[in-house]
Amino acid sequence: MKEIEVALIGNPNVGKSLIFNNLTGGRAHVGNWPGKTVEKKEGRCIHKGVTMRIIDLPGVYSLTAASIDELIARSYIVEERPDVVVDIVDASNLERNLYLTLQLLELEANLVIALNKSDIAEGLGYEIDVKGLSELLGVPVVPTIATVKVGMEELKDAIVEASKRGVKAKVRYREDIEELIERIGDILKRDENLTKKYPARWLAIKIIEGDGEVMRLIEERGLIEELREVIG
Amino acid sequence: MSVREVLGEEPEVAMAEERYRVIGEILSKVFRGARPLTPSDLLDKAFLNRGLGIPIFLALWWALFRFTFDVSAPLSDLIDIIFSRLGEFASSLIGNEWWSAFVSDAICGGLGGVLVFIPPIFFLFLGLALLEDSGYLARAAFVVDKILRPFGLQGRSFIPLLLGFGCNIPGIMATRTIPSERDRILTICVNPLITCSARLPVYVLIAGAVLGAYAPMAVFTMYLLSIVLALLMALIFKALIPYFRRGRRAPFILELPDYARPTLRSALTHMYERGILFLKKAGTIIFLGIIVVWLLSSHPWGAPLDQSYIATLGRWLEPIFRPLGFDWRGAVALFFGFIAKEIVVGTFAVFFGLGEEAEIEEVQRSIVELGVFTPLTGFAFMAFTLLYIPCLATIGIIYRETNSVKWTLFTVIYGLILAYLIALLIVVIGGLMGLG
Repeated sequence: MKEIEVALIGNPNVGKSLIFNNLTGGRAHVGNWPGKTVEKKEGRCIHKGVTMRIIDLPGVYSLTAASIDELIARSYIVEERPDVVVDIVDASNLERNLYLTLQLLELEANLVIALNKSDIAEGLGYEIDVKGLSELLGVPVVPTIATVKVGMEELKDAIVEASKRGVKAKVRYREDIEELIERIGDILKRDENLTKKYPARWLAIKIIEGDGEVMRLIEERGLIEELREVIG
Repeated sequence: MSVREVLGEEPEVAMAEERYRVIGEILSKVFRGARPLTPSDLLDKAFLNRGLGIPIFLALWWALFRFTFDVSAPLSDLIDIIFSRLGEFASSLIGNEWWSAFVSDAICGGLGGVLVFIPPIFFLFLGLALLEDSGYLARAAFVVDKILRPFGLQGRSFIPLLLGFGCNIPGIMATRTIPSERDRILTICVNPLITCSARLPVYVLIAGAVLGAYAPMAVFTMYLLSIVLALLMALIFKALIPYFRRGRRAPFILELPDYARPTLRSALTHMYERGILFLKKAGTIIFLGIIVVWLLSSHPWGAPLDQSYIATLGRWLEPIFRPLGFDWRGAVALFFGFIAKEIVVGTFAVFFGLGEEAEIEEVQRSIVELGVFTPLTGFAFMAFTLLYIPCLATIGIIYRETNSVKWTLFTVIYGLILAYLIALLIVVIGGLMGLG
């Protein structure tokens, strides 16, 4: 039987734990992230002949190198390359939640969005064009209400479906920023081993931001001199 | 085109703005609806207002301190009286002179000297817990972030510093919420400069004794000096120590929870958890410290104080403190103050043969009569007390939280040097101005 690896991520308080429990039936293996004091939860879900190994990542607002939680979440996605990443988004607080979504797209994660708390969003009088959102982001979006287990079967379907396809994220930034990303990306591609392991687009954005971890990596690879002209 | 030309001086912030611009564009196409204004939003309009935010913050802070000191004062007095009576009662029951003095002066006096600090500390933590549970403390951190930034600190440094006014131990422990390691260590390093509640009795004692009508002003000056020096030292460390300059500042992202009515149960739990840390320290280190002071000052048994072991120690220390104008008594009080500031007042009381539970007025009278301090050296003594390491337990917690002998020693040593320099400065400048 086929086994796929699925990571759950989302801002704090979006109902991530509930979705984890709904998917795994509450049976979880609890341990620690290697070398860290942060809890790691892992469970299993079998759907239409596919076994999903589900990993609960820490709740985070962004993916900088600033806190342990964010570093754990991001290095898991970067290093382990899970087959599917489920980004749980609070439909009643879309703007803030999509900030993490955009960073996951930069990472070229194979995303499925669970648009959770749809009932609360509806109660507030929000109208969300789910199909439009999915098209603009280039990833499947499944409305869910984790508290009453609505949308769980659809979510599982979307995960299995996504695992068969590749990534085709669409989001692009301002023209001059995209140019920078491309120029940095071209320099990075001289180091094949590096870009085989990490998405060049993501590395380029992190270099632009001056991210501590990535800058160290670039220094180790001896690319810092070649980048000097671009990063100033 | 380089990164700087495209995105300016802060590319990380510019990228964040760009992401939000893209999000805005997406939402304009697929999202309809306006968030209804909740009571929380309305409160935030006032509390986070550019003009009103800081005055409201200062008013609430002031209210918190009034609450702490006014409510706890009668309870502290009550504890003082109970232990003083208990001491008298115990000594009247015991025939043996040594044991009688030991039980009344050392044990009852020692316990009483420690327990009087429990009401203010617990009430401060209760007040903070109420502010925290109501959701305001997160806003306060937000409001002061702008003020703290230029000093190399940030909004999250604020709660640890605020807690430091109660006790530096929970203050230092609260730095765990600061995600950036550099900001966290810097906040830990300057936290001991925040004048904890244990230092207040020393100010009250000395100021009341030698500064007369200027006493309240002098005590207030200590609080001001505490804040100014904590910020100034943060600025200096940031400028001089390469470790604090390396890397970028972490952006300050803080989720503002909805305002809520605080529950008594949760506030009491918070108060208990933080207060108990102080109690543990008090129950062991301070209590033992006071007993040691009593033993050293009353032995050889029967000898007058100026021939006791403690006087010998004091004379040995005196040359170090002579430039500051402190005599052997001041030197010994500061020496034991290293264990805990709570011991300083008790040490003076023991010196004048008044017992630990002596009324503060009696101790003050003796300080004046024996000429221990002039107004100027008294003020310098207060500043010294403010600036050197608060207590042994604080050193322990700094080590535990930084996990570094280097940072622990650094904090202890710079505190001692700063204390000496500022006290010397006060004495020298005051002397030149003809005070003293």
